Amino acid sequence: MTNEEANRLLHAHIDGELDAATALEFEAYLAEDPTARRACQRLRQMSDAIREKADYHAAPAWLAARVRAATAAEPGSAGALRSWRAWLAPAGVAVADWLRPAASFAAVALVTWVVALGTMRPGDEEHIAHEVLASHVRSMLANRSYDVASSDQHTVKPWLSARLAFSPPVTDLSTSGFELVGGRLDYVGDQPVAVLVYKRRQHLIDVFVWPVVAPKPDQTLTHDGFNIEHFAKNGMDYWLVSDLGRDELNGLAQLIAEYSAGP
Amino acid sequence: MLAAGPALQQETRPAPLQAHDSGPPDETSNERKRRFERSVLPHLNAAYNLARWLTRNDHDAQDIVQDAMLRAFRFFGSLRGEAKPWLLAIVRNACFTWLQANRPADTVAFNDGLAELLPSEDDGPEALAVRNYDRRMLNAAIGTLPAQFREVLILRELEDLSYKDIARIADVPIGTVMSRLSRARRMLAETLQASHPSRMQVHK
Repeated sequence: MTNEEANRLLHAHIDGELDAATALEFEAYLAEDPTARRACQRLRQMSDAIREKADYHAAPAWLAARVRAATAAEPGSAGALRSWRAWLAPAGVAVADWLRPAASFAAVALVTWVVALGTMRPGDEEHIAHEVLASHVRSMLANRSYDVASSDQHTVKPWLSARLAFSPPVTDLSTSGFELVGGRLDYVGDQPVAVLVYKRRQHLIDVFVWPVVAPKPDQTLTHDGFNIEHFAKNGMDYWLVSDLGRDELNGLAQLIAEYSAGP
Repeated sequence: MLAAGPALQQETRPAPLQAHDSGPPDETSNERKRRFERSVLPHLNAAYNLARWLTRNDHDAQDIVQDAMLRAFRFFGSLRGEAKPWLLAIVRNACFTWLQANRPADTVAFNDGLAELLPSEDDGPEALAVRNYDRRMLNAAIGTLPAQFREVLILRELEDLSYKDIARIADVPIGTVMSRLSRARRMLAETLQASHPSRMQVHK
């Protein structure tokens, strides 16, 4: 075997690209050749070091939102018109000409409603619930649940505090089965807010925290298979969102309330 | 003894990614948007990571990725198979176009034919104990690799993509992916070794 062949096989071997038979042969060759063995070990170390230590640049939070907005603005009018017609005429009957003004009116009404929704004052609980849920789903869709990944509350808290006008209480609750995995920033109710991300089994739980603006009643909501829990404690508003069961989410809410009442 | 050539699991020339066909017939634009959100948007981080490593700055990576995502949306109908390599090919092409216009020195073509390297008997085993290098040094060293070598390294190590997928993304044969990857690793080891003078005292 030439050096060149050996080198190609070496890289393919550590990258898991050799078929089973060749991998076996190559391992037999490594067993006999200490130099190749060392080279193999060094390559593995380098690969591990890169995976472990090189920066992974996750997209900033707003980029997914901006991409979504840009695709929503894309012309797709033919398709959109078709769906409007399907909606207005479910039996498959073409929309009669006289109905078209009605469709435009419906569209205008919808736009007005959406604008009204967007300009609603913060403090409207349903609006807030909707925003935190949207943020949670967005982060899951974009596979980007946190900007700072750490199970250490002493890492997450200063990271968030440095970027916000307030300092959110952060507690690792892994001894109670809720592992702190990181934190991120988001924008809810017209203000930047902290989001603490906890994990229980395979479920991620977003805990939104910001200083109370206007007191709101505690509540539990369910929407689209997600549970939402809200409470206020020590001047902070907490909104919990997850696909975790209601009882467990309530358990986490109680733990957080308990800890944030501490020293 | 081993067979003459490397017995890879994949064919040597990947099929092109583009198909010339539109999406499912009668798909409404809302359905299309939802399908895009489900299959392409989850790879936004991978797209950004690649663009950020290639452009080496946040601002340009953001612009490029945003444009590339919109482009991906427009050509979504041509997607066949996996979304991730398809999207990354679009992002990668956008990055190289940008590099050629803004950082031409980064894209100076290397002769891939000369990229093969010898098993490294010439550097002592301890010299390349990469795990001892710190994060900052490692990031800087990867950043100094020429773009087409940085690209394969990032796709392999940070996105954990197969040679076949990398070949599709970079639009080169698998053999070229292999030689670029091995050369990237060699250059990285040399840079790290050079940036750590105390380790140069190690004897063979």
